[in-house]
Amino acid sequence: MNKELEHNFVALLEEHQNIVHKVCRLYTNHREAHNDLFQEVTIQLWKAYPKFRGDAKFSTWMYRVALNTAITLYRKSKRTVNTYELETFQFKIKAEEYDDTEEQQLKLLYQAVHQLNDIEKALVFLYLEEKDYREISETLGISEVNARVKMNRIKNKLKTILNP
Amino acid sequence: MDELELLKKHWKQEDAQYPHVSANDIYKMILKRSSSIVKWIFIISLLEFALWTGLTFFLKDSKNAQHFDKMDSDYLIIPLTVIGYVILAYFFYLFYKNFRRISVTDSAKVLMENIIRTRKTVKNYVLFNLIFMVVSTMVIMYIEFDQDQALIRKTQAAAANGDIFMFYAKTILIVAGVLAVFAGVLLFFYWLIYGLLLRKLNRNYKELRKLEM
Repeated sequence: MNKELEHNFVALLEEHQNIVHKVCRLYTNHREAHNDLFQEVTIQLWKAYPKFRGDAKFSTWMYRVALNTAITLYRKSKRTVNTYELETFQFKIKAEEYDDTEEQQLKLLYQAVHQLNDIEKALVFLYLEEKDYREISETLGISEVNARVKMNRIKNKLKTILNP
Repeated sequence: MDELELLKKHWKQEDAQYPHVSANDIYKMILKRSSSIVKWIFIISLLEFALWTGLTFFLKDSKNAQHFDKMDSDYLIIPLTVIGYVILAYFFYLFYKNFRRISVTDSAKVLMENIIRTRKTVKNYVLFNLIFMVVSTMVIMYIEFDQDQALIRKTQAAAANGDIFMFYAKTILIVAGVLAVFAGVLLFFYWLIYGLLLRKLNRNYKELRKLEM
């Protein structure tokens, strides 16, 4: 691996690191696990980087690697239960910006998302990142129609979790 | 408002709240070792190949086998050995080919399928080895009881003393003990691979398959 490749990679990842943070945000529930997954995604990205041709956007390419690592390659994710603690670094809502009910609602919403399974989280993640169904279906390897159907089911599921 | 829309609204605003990982930290991270399941599957698979192949060697070189070699059995042993090596080479080639195909930039489903396929190759190899061993043992036992004068004398002596039942019981116990050890090793690997490493993958793969039905 030459120095230039390494340099380019580090610069690109530093710029787009929030994508990785956001994946970690959905798939882990405390800082230590977050950092651990961040590290593994970084290693996987770096290992795959020499084959990155630049015909796709770096960020689009990152979505795949980051999600694949979280869903398939990463081993230590047993601790994603309901004990989600809102750590300061992860989730700070300025009181003056939002009213209490919205803040509370948001908190519950995150807890509900954490109860979804790995595949459902992936769909939610791509949806929140405003990816179209074509890209969602290609990232996961399912058909576009099924991605749409599943997304609707997830919305209903979230509703049920939030309003039991 | 739709629940997810509310989340989406905040999703983008959260960007500034994540801790910034510096370039320096990223440099440090890429030097560290991966702890991905693919790496562990590779290591464990190599161990399995080594173990089951090594076992065949061990059995072949043991005293019994040397004693067996003296008997008129080349017509059987040589083809069996050659077949063993050819099969090993074939499975190893398949394993390597499938392993190389695993790419983190594939879609989630294809990635999972490639990992499962790689594992299946090793599983088939182990299965083949077990069948091979059972068949070989049966063939060897048959030849021993048929040609080994010492064994034939022992059997006859046992029959004459009325100990024939004990004699067979002992033989069966020994064979059962050896089988239990094999089964134990097999279960250990099975637990390691399917219990620890592939549990999450299998669960998620099932979930993806369910979407396509």
